[in-house]
Amino acid sequence: MNPVLRKIQVCVLSQALTSCRPSPPVHHAGRPNERLHRSMPTHSIGRWRNLLPKQAPKKKKEKQQMKQILANTSTAHGTLNVNVSGHDMTLVEHYSQYVHNLCNRLGIKVADSYALPTKSMEVMLMQEQGTKTYVDAVLKTHQRVVQLSSLNAALSPIFMDVLLRNQPEGVQLCVKEHTEADFQARFKARPELEGLMSQMNH
Amino acid sequence: MAAPCGRMATKSLSHVLSVFGRTAAGNAACRHFSVASVCRATPQSKIAAESGSSSWTLMAAVCLQRLPVVSADFSPVEERFKQMLLQMELEKSLLSDHELRLLDDADRIRRKQTDDYDSDEEGAHGDQEIMLGQDLEDTWEQKLKSFQPAPRVQPEVDKDLTSAKRCLADSLVLLAEQRVGGEKLWLLPQAQWQEGETLRQTAERALASLPAAGFKATFLGNAPCGVYKYKLPKAVRTESSTGCKVFFFKAIVADDGQPKAPAGPFLWLKKSELQRYLKPAYRMKVERFILAL
Repeated sequence: MNPVLRKIQVCVLSQALTSCRPSPPVHHAGRPNERLHRSMPTHSIGRWRNLLPKQAPKKKKEKQQMKQILANTSTAHGTLNVNVSGHDMTLVEHYSQYVHNLCNRLGIKVADSYALPTKSMEVMLMQEQGTKTYVDAVLKTHQRVVQLSSLNAALSPIFMDVLLRNQPEGVQLCVKEHTEADFQARFKARPELEGLMSQMNH
Repeated sequence: MAAPCGRMATKSLSHVLSVFGRTAAGNAACRHFSVASVCRATPQSKIAAESGSSSWTLMAAVCLQRLPVVSADFSPVEERFKQMLLQMELEKSLLSDHELRLLDDADRIRRKQTDDYDSDEEGAHGDQEIMLGQDLEDTWEQKLKSFQPAPRVQPEVDKDLTSAKRCLADSLVLLAEQRVGGEKLWLLPQAQWQEGETLRQTAERALASLPAAGFKATFLGNAPCGVYKYKLPKAVRTESSTGCKVFFFKAIVADDGQPKAPAGPFLWLKKSELQRYLKPAYRMKVERFILAL
């Protein structure tokens, strides 16, 4: 910052000394091709990106495993996954939203809220006359996961009771511990990468 | 509909000489839900050896609940609102694949009726010509007619207080008639706490010791949901027993669908019916944690 200021001051002073004209000179005598903007007194006015704090470059891999292990009277569960699944997407989504809002109201910290990919099942029935099966219906199973970072053990029976009472028909509820395998299952397999890795290891 | 946390009257668990042991219980209840609890290394018996501890007898009771199987009926306002929303959604919606197909078929039939119809101009609709959309609808209608859903409300079963299948739209609580201090009372099944077991195990024992009932239940956690204490009448009071404290634990019944003959004095009651069977002071404490949503 200071060199910039100093440069301006120097320029101003030198200009004041040499010529009293306020307008900047169009070109120096004898050097018509020189680029003048860096020596202009207004150079780097308005520069602000140098003033921002340095940011570390963003990492792509997510960090997880936020597990607590308390063994006191106020024991809490670790990271829990509340998995809501069903065939009717509106019911599943609304119920998962209800779970999320309930956690917010009860002060339970929600770590993550995501959807797992939809699985389609084709129901094939045998034809009455003949042996060929034909497609009767396509059933899609939707899944939504609300991940809680910690659940107080004293609060958990109440929480479960309220969830169960408000569970709609046709929706399955599953509360499980969150594991590394659950986390890795969300990612797609990369066959080329795996092929290259196995080639490397050989 | 958030359950207020202040309702839960728990005593600080350091008073109770209990140990938190977790067992892996992954039962599937009659409603599709499963809870897998953590199986951690339990820090064994932190029971402080206090011989002349408190003069209160400790008991654990289980509040066994059968959750609603069927959703409750709509009130008139809700019914009208539902109809209005369905109408709005229908008007705003786009045509589905099946409806487009019906329109296509009708169009094709109309074109076939005209004289200058060249079937080669149509694309390759091999399968669709055999099975029209209308035929599909007819087969679906037939299947629907042959499907008999179970009745939602059965008045005879509703009146039978001992059946677990009554009032499918409400949640029911199990009451048992037990002998307490020389008289038979209707209360939540309870058992006395013994040294070396957690209160939750006492509650499980209370449930298992019910005569010939064999209810399979999933307990909703290690912490009790309510407490009731009473002092013994002065005549019976001694140095070592001033009274009794009962801790309640919630459990959901895991039904495997088979109707068991109810043996023994059991009642499945809705929250509103508890008034006739429970003593007033007891009922006040118990009703605090039974949710009637």
